[in-house]
Amino acid sequence: MKGAGSASAGPGSRDQAPDAKISISGVHRTFAADTADPVHALGPFDLEIADGEFACLVGPSGCGKSTLLRIVAGLIRPSQGEIEINASGSSSAPLSVVFQDYSIYPWKTVERNVSYGLEIQGMRKKAALEKSRRWLAKMGLEDFARAYPDALSGGMRQRVAIARALAVEPEILLMDEPFAALDAQLRQLLQDELLDIWQADQRTVLFITHSLEEAIVLGDRVIVMTSRPGRVLESFEVPFPRPRKPELRDTPEFSKFKAMLWESLKGEVQHYLSDVHGAMSDAEGQR
Amino acid sequence: MRALKKGAEPGPGRIRRVPGAAELAPGRSSRRRRAVELSLAILFPVVLIGLWQTASTLDWIDARLYPSPFDIAAKTRDLFSERDLAEDVWISVRRILWGYFWGALGGLSAGIGMGMFRLMRRTAEPTLIALYTVPKLALLPIYLTVFGFGETTVIALIATTVFFFVWLSAMAAVMAVPEEYREAAHSFGANRRQLFHHVILPASLPQIFVGLRLAAGVSVLMIVGVEFVLGGDGIGHVINGGRILGLIEQTYVGIAIVAVIGVIFTALVRLAGRLASPWSTEDGGQPIA
Repeated sequence: MKGAGSASAGPGSRDQAPDAKISISGVHRTFAADTADPVHALGPFDLEIADGEFACLVGPSGCGKSTLLRIVAGLIRPSQGEIEINASGSSSAPLSVVFQDYSIYPWKTVERNVSYGLEIQGMRKKAALEKSRRWLAKMGLEDFARAYPDALSGGMRQRVAIARALAVEPEILLMDEPFAALDAQLRQLLQDELLDIWQADQRTVLFITHSLEEAIVLGDRVIVMTSRPGRVLESFEVPFPRPRKPELRDTPEFSKFKAMLWESLKGEVQHYLSDVHGAMSDAEGQR
Repeated sequence: MRALKKGAEPGPGRIRRVPGAAELAPGRSSRRRRAVELSLAILFPVVLIGLWQTASTLDWIDARLYPSPFDIAAKTRDLFSERDLAEDVWISVRRILWGYFWGALGGLSAGIGMGMFRLMRRTAEPTLIALYTVPKLALLPIYLTVFGFGETTVIALIATTVFFFVWLSAMAAVMAVPEEYREAAHSFGANRRQLFHHVILPASLPQIFVGLRLAAGVSVLMIVGVEFVLGGDGIGHVINGGRILGLIEQTYVGIAIVAVIGVIFTALVRLAGRLASPWSTEDGGQPIA
């Protein structure tokens, strides 16, 4: 497979198995497997993510990015293969997830939304609320602690979702297009905030996005996936040193790197489009 | 497969994600699940009836007061031949269907209208809510005065009961249609009729059918109550007659028939709902492909 080997071409020994925080080997996922037309969404998928690494997955629509994340999160099972997560046990929560939308509860106040995750982990209500407020302060939401989410803008709601995921101090943070529903300016602002928070205390992140820019600004590594069934097409080490500043986006090196990623991804997006068109003309032919 | 071995969790702190039984043999596992669900649904009432029969046969309960399922079945057969039970069943079913029809028609019109037009809602809602809380059987004396002794009174009472259930659910369903759907139609210049036909009605239909199903069950409850009080004929009269004449088995037969009518009627309304809104997963089903 083209470029599959470039994952190990990166600097350092990050990709060697003993260090891997998450190792994904031969994972497939097929939906509607018991029906006449099963959908092979993912696989074979192989990837190792090192401890403390910020890994970004990009790929065309429907390539199984979210499916992969949901398997890692344990929300669904793989159809084949296995994933091993090397949790050190230092945190009560090995991993937490930030979803794209609709994951914070409208019937709980902002601070309750954040403390909810902690209480599930067994923390006392009072301590959980205190910690919840600390995280809200960090995300600039302290004035809204007692508001209901419906009173908040989309950007603030997504901040709450991030605060909720971070408050349990997970070893691994899984993020499924967390900024996709936000406008471009807000998106950039939240990327910068996440960059600051993550650089202050580096934990392992698996981040799914459609935006190459987002992937480059945030990630140590950008993994480009093929169209469905999703596999690793190429893996790129992001060459920009940390701590990164928001202004990185305006440098020519950034644009060059982004163009290179797009070169890799473009073929798959076109492949995806021709698949869609093919399916559409098939459907028309059947009429 | 090693993924399935017991104790596959390799030591503390390690988490593994591996295929489960449903992934390894998807066809078999979903067939098995469906088989298990179906047999449980059948087994549950069968076991209950079996327990009842056993209790009766072994004289744990007094069979004269609590006749056994076998006796009830035998009595059902007898009643259908001697007493013309079929006639009573048919009378009740006819009343239910007419009452349901008019009640649902009125409830849908009022509910959808009040859901769509704020002024209508503001005008009529408090009054209807006040009437909603009145037990419908209490209206019987008034209906007798208005409609006289006859079918009309019974049907009107069923219709009134059904009306309130359907009205409330239809109004709530229409009001819950997302604003974006309306705006999209408006942006194309849809008129009221087009908005209703292409957006409001389909968007609210699944929820409306939840109310229609509820009302189907309630209409059966109501017919028994009405016929209890009025007497003369119908399945409610059969039940009450058993009590008055000391024919306790007859009462049980009536109850069993009412239960069956309720199940069939509710299932039919549900089926109608599935056919009317094939895209919906509202009642826990899959979209009809």
